[in-house]
Amino acid sequence: MHPDRTGSGPAGSGRKGEQDAWGAFGLVVSGVLVWGVVGGLLGRWLDSRIPVLVGLLVGMAAGLYLVWFRYGRP
Amino acid sequence: MNTLLLAASDTFVPPGPRDFEFPGIGGSFFTKPMLIIVLGTLLVAVFFYFAARSAQRVPGKLQFAGESAYGFVRNSIALDAIGHEGLRYVPYLATLFFFIATLNIFGIIPYFQFPATSKIAIPLFLAVISCVIFNAIGIRRMGFGGYFKAMMFPPGIPKPVYVILAPIEFVSTILIRPLTLCLRLTLNMFAGHLVLLLFVLGGEYLLRDYGGAVGIASGAVAIFGSIVLTFFEAFVQLLQAYVFTLLSALYIGGALLEEH
Repeated sequence: MHPDRTGSGPAGSGRKGEQDAWGAFGLVVSGVLVWGVVGGLLGRWLDSRIPVLVGLLVGMAAGLYLVWFRYGRP
Repeated sequence: MNTLLLAASDTFVPPGPRDFEFPGIGGSFFTKPMLIIVLGTLLVAVFFYFAARSAQRVPGKLQFAGESAYGFVRNSIALDAIGHEGLRYVPYLATLFFFIATLNIFGIIPYFQFPATSKIAIPLFLAVISCVIFNAIGIRRMGFGGYFKAMMFPPGIPKPVYVILAPIEFVSTILIRPLTLCLRLTLNMFAGHLVLLLFVLGGEYLLRDYGGAVGIASGAVAIFGSIVLTFFEAFVQLLQAYVFTLLSALYIGGALLEEH
């Protein structure tokens, strides 16, 4: 029927870079977002500004760690 | 010079977000972006209906055009990004691609000249559909618990750390993915339309109202630039439709594969 062209190699080998870039971006953003919001709420409750800072830093570190875990390992 | 620029800024109103709000046509609720959506949908539907109707073994011109267009999505998006299983999702991906591409291209079609996709509601709705689809595929493939377990708890991390990492994975898949899909398309179209408006309106102002040798010379450059940018916009409009569809396909492919 159709002149079937099965994709080039394993699924998305050529396009993987695109997804990886956005995936890494998404992980860092959501890391900062999730733990920044948690820190912010905690800070509002405790009437202190320190939890926001801690939350943002922890979120950023965790996001970067996930980027390394998902995409950076050999 | 300074006073001249100030005087100019008194009369020249630079384009802004206000240019994306339209009054209803003839005082009704029906606005230009709505008209473009209706026309774009009809255009895509009619084209593919007539291209696919009474398909021959030896295709005519219209059938050939339709098959090439569909084949592009099939081969270079579905098969490339997902693999053989991607064939099942070609109808959705093709619809997505041609709907977005058509609405984008309306941004440079004379008289209309407004990319309907720069209205955030449209890309947002499409992104939500894509998000629901790839999550549904993943859940059907691995079961509700299995899908979220594979998403949020990748193996090989010390258990206590999951408390920090799992919410991040969850938010990045459920919230950030559709959000970036939506914003990338919306803002590309928004910015592109704004730049074109600036060049055309600015060029017109320089040529007609500012006048003088400086005004005419720089106005001519601006008008010429607007022509060049129109071609560039055509490229961006097709590219963004492709990127939206490709990333949707990659997310679907990821949900199909996610079996750790």
